[in-house]
Parts: sequence; C-alpha cells; structure tokens
Amino acid sequence: MLELAGGFSALFAPWPFLYLVGGFLLGLLFGAIPGLTATLAIALLLPFTFGMEVTNALIMVMGIYMAGIYAGSITGITLNIPGAPSGAITSIDGHALMKKGHGAQALSLDAFASSVGGMIGALVLMMLAQPISQLALLFRTPEKFSLVLLAVVTVTIVSRGSLWRATIAMTLGLMISTVGIDPMVPKGRFDFGSYHLVEGIGLLPAVIGLFAICELLVQAATPARNAMGVAVAELPRLRHRDFIPDFRIIREIGAFLYLKSSVIGVLIGMLPGGGAAMASFIAYAEAKRTAKRPEAFGDGSHEGLAASESANNAMCGGAIIPLLTMGIPGDAVTAIIFGVLLIHGLVPGPGLLVDHTATIAPMFAALFVASAFVMVSVVAFGPFYLRLARINRGMLYAFIALVSMAGVYASSFSGFQMWMALAIGIFAFALRRFDYPVVPMLMGVILGPYLEEFLRRSLIVSKGDPTIFVTSPFSLLFLLLTLVFIWLLRLRPSARAGSTG
Amino acid sequence: MTGIARPNGQAIFALVLLVLTSVYSSQIFKLGLPFENGVEPGASFLPIVLSAIMYVGALRILLVELRRGRAETADARPQSDTVPAVTVLGPLVVIAATALFAYGLERVGYFVAAGAYTFVVALYFNFEDSGRPVYALVLSAITALAVTLFGWAFFVWLFELTLPGWNL
Repeated sequence: MLELAGGFSALFAPWPFLYLVGGFLLGLLFGAIPGLTATLAIALLLPFTFGMEVTNALIMVMGIYMAGIYAGSITGITLNIPGAPSGAITSIDGHALMKKGHGAQALSLDAFASSVGGMIGALVLMMLAQPISQLALLFRTPEKFSLVLLAVVTVTIVSRGSLWRATIAMTLGLMISTVGIDPMVPKGRFDFGSYHLVEGIGLLPAVIGLFAICELLVQAATPARNAMGVAVAELPRLRHRDFIPDFRIIREIGAFLYLKSSVIGVLIGMLPGGGAAMASFIAYAEAKRTAKRPEAFGDGSHEGLAASESANNAMCGGAIIPLLTMGIPGDAVTAIIFGVLLIHGLVPGPGLLVDHTATIAPMFAALFVASAFVMVSVVAFGPFYLRLARINRGMLYAFIALVSMAGVYASSFSGFQMWMALAIGIFAFALRRFDYPVVPMLMGVILGPYLEEFLRRSLIVSKGDPTIFVTSPFSLLFLLLTLVFIWLLRLRPSARAGSTG
Repeated sequence: MTGIARPNGQAIFALVLLVLTSVYSSQIFKLGLPFENGVEPGASFLPIVLSAIMYVGALRILLVELRRGRAETADARPQSDTVPAVTVLGPLVVIAATALFAYGLERVGYFVAAGAYTFVVALYFNFEDSGRPVYALVLSAITALAVTLFGWAFFVWLFELTLPGWNL
C-alpha cells in the first residue's frame, strides 16, 4: 500500500502531470461529445503510446478514462443526449433539473458525485490490488483457464440484445486470435499463404478498426440533425461560481448514499462486462428502493443523480483490479489498457504489481487525482459545456480519421496493418448494423490466446482428463461463478420476462 | 438515433458469416488432428470448437430471420436533407477515402495523402451538415490544412514516430 502511495510523488513530476492533464482534457472532450467515448479516445491514443514511456502512457489513459466516464453525463444533463452510455441514467434526473432551471446545480452535483465515486474507486484499487495479486499468484493453469472462461462468458452474456449474436461476436474475436503462430508449437495457422498473416492480426489494427474506423462509418451514415441533437434552449448567462456545489443539498443526499453507490460501482466494475452503464443503473435502482421520496426519481432527484454518477466513476477503479491483478480485462477500455501494457512488454497478471510496482503505482495515483480534477473542471469549464455538442463534425471526424490511419502506420510501418484496420472497421460496421455487439469481439481477440494456451496446457498436464478443471478449488469456484452469472444475468431475467408475458 | 438501420439483410449477413466460417474451417485440415497422441489437444482443437459454435449460431439466426420474413425486419432509415441514401453513401465515401489514403500514403507521402483524406472526410460531413457546397469546400480546405499539420506535429515532432513526408 505504501509503495503504491509512492506513485503520487512520481505523478507530480512535470511531464507525468502534464500527461495527466492532457489525458483528462481529451477524455472530457470525447466523453462530452455525443457519439464519441472514452474508449474511442483511448483507442486513438494507442499508436502514440509507442513513443511514450509506459508510465506516462498509463497516466494519460487514466486521465482519459476518469474524465470520459464523467463527461458522458454532461450533454445528458444539458441536452438530454448522453455523450456516452455511462451518462444515460444520470440524464434522467439531471435533465429534469436542467428543465427546472437548475442546470448549473445539476452539473456541479454531478461532478461532485463523480469526484467522490472516482476517489473511492481509486482508494479501493490501491487497497485491494496487492492482496488480490498475492492470491492470484497461487493460480495454476487450470484456474487461469477457468478465470479467462468466466470473463469470456460474462462479457458475452451481459451484452445487450440477442445472446446468439453476442456469442457469434465473441467467437469471431476468438477466431481472429487463432490467426498466426500457434501458442504451443511453432506452426503458422490460418495465414492463407500470406507472410503478413503469419505474424497474426495485431491488437492495434483490431482496436482502431473496431472502435475508430467503425465509429467513423457509423457517423457517416448518421445525418447531422440526428447526431448532434437540437439547439439548446436560451439560458441565463452562467458564471463559474454558479458551478460550485450547494453543500446543503450534499448534506441532504448524505455521505452514506455516496459511499453505498460507490461500493456498488466498484463491485460492478470488478465483474467482467460490468461497465459504467450497468453500475449507474444498479446504484440508481438501489437508491430509489431505499429513498424517502422514491416518487421524485425521474423528476429531478438529487439522490438519483448522485447515486448514478458516484457509481459509474467508482467503477473505473473496480475495473482496473481484475486487469492488473489477474490479467482479465472486463470491458473495452480495460482491454485497450491491456494492449498498452503489452505494447510495452508488460504482461498484466499477478506478477505485474510485484515486479513493476514503480511503473504501475503512478497509474493508481493518476486515477485518484483525475477524480479530483472532475470537481475542478466543472467550475472551470461549466459555462462552456452547453456549446460542446455543437463542435464541427467535419473537423472532428477528419481528425479522428487521420489519427486512426496514420497512427496505425506510424506505429507499425506497415501498409498492410492499415488495410487490416480498414477491413476490421468495415466488418465491425456491418456487425453493428445488424445488431451484433463489437465489445465481445475485442475481448475475444485479446483473451483468445490465453484461453487456448491455458486450456491446452491443462489438458496436456492431465493427459486429456477434463476433470482437472473441477478438482482444483479455485477453478471449481470460477466455473461455479460462471454458472451463477449465466443464471442471474440471462436465465432468470428471461424466465421472469416469460412469466410476466 | 444513429444511422444504423436494420435492413432485411439479417439473413444475408448470417449467410456471409457462414461463408466466412467455411473459409476459416477450410484451413483446419492443414493443422492435424484435434487430439495428438489421442489425448493432447493440438493446433486444430480450438478452431474446430469455434467453427462449430459459428455454424450453430449463424444457422440459428439464419433460420429465425428467414421465418420472420422481410416485412418484420425492415425499419425506417434516417434521411438526410442534403445527401441521398446517407446510410449507404456516407460510409461508402469514407471507405473509399480511407482506402485511397492507405494506398497513397507510401506512394505520395503524408502531406498529400493526409491533406486529400482529411479534405474529403471533412467535405462530406460539412456538406451533409450545411448543404452549402462553397461553404463546405472552404471550411474543409481549412480543416484539411489544420488537421494535416496538427497530425504531423503530433506524430513526428511530439511523439517522434516516423511518417513518409514527401514521396512525390
């Protein structure tokens, strides 16, 4: 814990701090603009990380992550168009407050809740990371396989819409991961005679294709009037001090609600596939269940706003825990962070914190400090937030297009990788057009090699006996958890929906 | 609402997935038996499992969509005031521009390729948004110049990555 706290001193050196501020501002911009997300911002950053020190890259990613999740609620409150899915629940009460003329207060309460949630999430991360890493060091190959399987299954079943489509998306990702050299024997697979494919399909073109190129195509298919929303109603001129939160309202909301919602956010974040949208929804539902005036929820409830925002920013710290301690990314953002670590030769997993504490500690500190920035940012930029949704689309998407494609080339020196990014982007666009989720596909690409290696190693050790996966207590626990999640997240809701017609 | 309409091509897309799976599966025979020595899983083991999942999943979707028919799967696509068939034409413009950039970067260099690429992308979005050709042309030219220079400054000066500057 003390070693991790030492990350603060490293963070406050000039360059790391500038990277944090830069990442935070980038995340704020991308989170607040409808259609753009923190995931896209981090995906675009990926090529640049080749030219950065890994600590600075991780610090910048943390700034983007925290700011992007928070900023998803800004246009949700001001325009009722969430900049990202994480802001959808906050928009319900936030926009209701806006319509009542309390827009500045809604934005400041939103930022305060995000700050509190983000800080609690970062503190939990600092407290739990090392103990969980120590525990994870005990995992052998069968346990690792069951853990990766848990992540693969959970990410698939929590996807919205058809389970079959999510399964296909995940399977496509796993198929992509099998292209290239076999993980166990030096033999090329699925290369179709191309020396480019013998190396496999890189993470960079996969991330850029799935998120940047695909988003570019989605936006090109979306008329401007549908993408950017309607003109904002005339509002009184707001000053910076209007965005300082009213502490009387914060006392009314109560410290317990902030704490409870943040803990929910952390726990949901630790669950593979959990994500900010689910965290804010569950915390909101729990706050409404225990509220003195549940009827106010949906009509400008301060408690509802605080619950959803505390939870979705606390989720950031929670989502980092399984990534760094067990090597399991739970969502698209942590999957890309996984890529950043791999690019720099660091393998996420139990050994990471033991062997590279000095590299990772500033990342934790960055998450905490970025949470504090959220509160500062609303006072500094609050009066400008109303204009964010009006940014010129031509400039925005020309920038995204160039950074994506030139980024792939600059970091790989390969024209083939650019073509691969374009091909994956077109395929991902087709998937989205036909209601297939793309996040499971990315998770398949990332987790596929580990799933296959651990499966095959385990079966080689057991001489083909699959009971090796149920004779180890941890492995059995992960398999049972997988079944419990399938029951809780898919079978039970389907049964309830069926019984209520 | 985004421009992603769900046309009645769900069944066709499931067919495309089946074809892709067949192309993938055709390589499995080169990888040997799924279990070497009768017990140890080999290079073809996981690909066989994945192909089976794909065939079952895509076939199920295909059958459901064929049973559902065209009328139930069709829904309204967003319309643009300025670009006809925006849901098709828009992505095609961006795909063509991106493909030209990928083709041209090593041949004509960053400045020409990036300038043209950002100009076309900006022009499409600006024209779709405003419907004013001259305004869109001028704004897109300024955008292309600014984004191209910004990209060079970012990639080459700040992050010291390498791009081919002028290859003409």
